[in-house]
Amino acid sequence: MTEHDERQIRDALKQSFPPVNAELGRDLWPEVLLRLDARPVKVPWYDWVMACLSVIMFLAFPRLVFVFAYHL
Amino acid sequence: MDLLQRFALGEIDAFETLVRQFQGDIYAWTVRMVRDPGAAEDLTVETLWRIYRARQQFRPDGNFGAWARRIATNLALDHLRRKRPEASLVVEPAGVQQPDRLEQQETQEQIQQAFHRLPAKLQVAAMLALVEERPYEEIAEALGTSVGAVKLRVFRAVRILRKRLRQVGIRRE
Repeated sequence: MTEHDERQIRDALKQSFPPVNAELGRDLWPEVLLRLDARPVKVPWYDWVMACLSVIMFLAFPRLVFVFAYHL
Repeated sequence: MDLLQRFALGEIDAFETLVRQFQGDIYAWTVRMVRDPGAAEDLTVETLWRIYRARQQFRPDGNFGAWARRIATNLALDHLRRKRPEASLVVEPAGVQQPDRLEQQETQEQIQQAFHRLPAKLQVAAMLALVEERPYEEIAEALGTSVGAVKLRVFRAVRILRKRLRQVGIRRE
């Protein structure tokens, strides 16, 4: 493949892909700030442990559900 | 303490200054690769967010612009991989068009389609080198590879394009 081929393909691509406007028309800082503030909610590990223990307890003693419901 | 050191420590004011300084450059680089201003803006925001997230990995004596471009290039590559080549829409032109113009339009569409079917890494190398005429050293730095590797990607892209265009009957003298 020759330089001639590369030149032909380059010319063909330049005709098919018109120049893009590379100028940024606005300030993106506000959007970046929004992304930074949108932190994912982190659940502490002990909350997960409590949740698991609760599920095990209700599966082992189903009637406890009614006891809790009464007191809530 | 200088700006980059403060940024590496997580100072948001320092990061804001860097964003305002480099967002134009990152956008210009990205839009040259993806050719879509809306997508380029989204990718620029994503790049800046990832830059902040990775701030502790940045050496304050390093080249911030080059590092930012590398992140932007990787995001552009992901974007191009996810984007599927669009099927060409046959739009009936209003009125009568010159046959030459129609043929030219069809040829351009076929070239675009053939280009978008290239692997993303070849697309980026070919677009930056052949269309945008960026220096090979700049492209190599952004891709995290050597000048020789970039030239090889361009060579492969040209070879594939030549073959595909010949298959659809496009010959250029």
